[in-house]
Amino acid sequence: MNSGATLFLGLFVSMACSFLAFVLGPQLQIGNLAQTDTVVTGDASPQTYPIGQPGDAHQGAEVYRANGCAACHTQMVRPWSLGPDIQHGWGVRRSVAEDYLFEQPVLLGTQRIGPDLANFGRRSDLNGILFRLYDPRLITPRSLMPSYRFLFEQHAIQGAASPDALVLPAQIAPPAGYEVLARPQARALAAYLLSLRQDVYLFEAPPPLAPKTNAVPAATNSTAK
Amino acid sequence: MSATDSPARTATPSPPQTSRAGAERVCPAGRLALCAGAVAWLFIALLLGLLDSLKFHDPGFLAGSPYLSYGRVHAAQDTALLYGFAVPASLGVGLWLLCRLGRTVLAGRFVVFLGALFWNFAVTVAVIANVCGGGRGYDYFDLTVHCAPLFFVAYLLIGVCGMLTFHQRQPGPLYPSQWFVLGSLFWFPWIFSTAAMLLLLMPARGTLQSAIHWWYVHNVDNVFLGFAGLASSFYFIPKLLGRPLHSRQLAAMAFWTIALFGGWGGIPQGAPLPSWIISLGVIGTVLSAVPVLAIFTNFYRTTRGDLKRLDDNLTLRFSYIGLLFYFVAAAQQIVGVLPNVSAITALTWFGVAQKQLFHLGFFALTMFGALYYIIPRLLDVEETAWRPKLAKAHFYLTVIGIVISYLSLLVCGVGQGVLLANPAHPFADVMRSTLAPLRVSTAGDLLVVVGTILFLLNFALLLTRACFKCWADCCVGKEKQPA
Repeated sequence: MNSGATLFLGLFVSMACSFLAFVLGPQLQIGNLAQTDTVVTGDASPQTYPIGQPGDAHQGAEVYRANGCAACHTQMVRPWSLGPDIQHGWGVRRSVAEDYLFEQPVLLGTQRIGPDLANFGRRSDLNGILFRLYDPRLITPRSLMPSYRFLFEQHAIQGAASPDALVLPAQIAPPAGYEVLARPQARALAAYLLSLRQDVYLFEAPPPLAPKTNAVPAATNSTAK
Repeated sequence: MSATDSPARTATPSPPQTSRAGAERVCPAGRLALCAGAVAWLFIALLLGLLDSLKFHDPGFLAGSPYLSYGRVHAAQDTALLYGFAVPASLGVGLWLLCRLGRTVLAGRFVVFLGALFWNFAVTVAVIANVCGGGRGYDYFDLTVHCAPLFFVAYLLIGVCGMLTFHQRQPGPLYPSQWFVLGSLFWFPWIFSTAAMLLLLMPARGTLQSAIHWWYVHNVDNVFLGFAGLASSFYFIPKLLGRPLHSRQLAAMAFWTIALFGGWGGIPQGAPLPSWIISLGVIGTVLSAVPVLAIFTNFYRTTRGDLKRLDDNLTLRFSYIGLLFYFVAAAQQIVGVLPNVSAITALTWFGVAQKQLFHLGFFALTMFGALYYIIPRLLDVEETAWRPKLAKAHFYLTVIGIVISYLSLLVCGVGQGVLLANPAHPFADVMRSTLAPLRVSTAGDLLVVVGTILFLLNFALLLTRACFKCWADCCVGKEKQPA
């Protein structure tokens, strides 16, 4: 341990081990994942999965990234055994690598201050999302989310009222003669959020075998007669 | 300061002693720019953190401006803390240790200064990009395509000078701190260039990005910052106690096991990646108990019975408390990956508490300890030039602030996890219930900010004093010359 060369060689080898295992290994295994025609369950006709994002959703992903949405929201559903995500209604199955083939950048998130969004498109609609962005407490009274009003604009009604104007409840409605409209960023973000759904069952992500109660899942096997 | 100058003459290794006069009478601008820039960015990061923390008191606080929204401020805070503070501080202290332990002068002083300027410019660009929503969105790697090469070049400029300094050392056995500094110098460019290539320049497909990102963050924390902080602990604690390090073999074991297993892990269980990678990460994280135990034993044996000495030296006090926080943060990390615990605590404030304790509790305190020792020597003023009352207040405010913040976030995370484990609890209600501890943590953040202001004040006073001394020396010198 007194020669610089030994030190460098050792550091190089240990660095290479970690690089091979955590960067090259996954690249070799899942680097070539591709779209598949696959539906595992039921009698549904074969379906291509995943499908690429539509253009406005792609722009919305940029809005999602730029405003740091991933600081509070994750986009991954863990399996039953590793957390209660499915019971909370955040997804119908666990997330797998295939779900993210067309995401760029992939922002899985590291912390949940807000709910998981991996399947947000399954449980919301355009108006719901715009309301949540304008004032989150309109939909969820106890929500902690800040409002993103800078994604909206308020201006005087000229001629007929716009059909796209937000229909807000009286207490936060704009003054008479004004209307609130979503800016393009808000619409793109909403399109992105609506595109988030991981509900096609795959070979590696079949419908979960849900435990009926909160009992330990492993117990069902051993006690079965 | 008698302890610092009494060499411990024993067979076991102790930090080599050098006379102060020789090694450091060179221009300190490079290392000073690194250290001063680091502390300034730490202050900015803490302010941004406080701003984010205040948003939990009222979700409408400063929500009207896109530049001050939670997500962007959060990203800017991470960038300022990791790239603004942690990396330059590790470089400044590391270069000083390489000079001191190699009994040599810094190679390429001008290049180091240039590198420090480059680096701080890159951090400024990155933080502004974060606030404007330009970063690529990865936690602790929220950089733009443009500033990543700048960071890399700046690091290489400084790192190559570090290598040259190491190369021109006086012959003799290496002290463990030298291994750790070299390890950190070597580790950062590799992981940073990998992440920059595969996340920014030629992004990998799908969740491979997440795998690379988690690998990078785990390596930055456990290996890079771990090496840089431990280098300082291994030097200052035995030296200032005037005792030899208990065992060089244990230090070597800790070094190699951190290098081997330290970078394995950081992937949340249940992530959409092949299971074997996640399991390998769990194994690596659990195995990192080996270096932690080795370091604990080593320092326990080194410092045994000498805790009273903590009172009479500031550097010793900061380094010692920093090391204690290292053990707590490491233990929490190991417990947190055990499957039963992780099912409850993953993706909650539990992980944030651990990271904060590691970054501020271990790394920042250790660096403060080192800076209290190094800065007067770089400026060639006596160590008593620090105002003792300011320094003492800085110590207590910072430590108490970190403890308050850590404990409240820990309670918050465990509470959030336990409540969410029961699906009958609606998510919004659970998050409401975490507000109380989150608001307590704001008080801790505030104390740390005030402590850092006191340090900056103390630093400014010291700089003024050094400038006056320099000016007086010049004038006196000129008056004497004609005589």
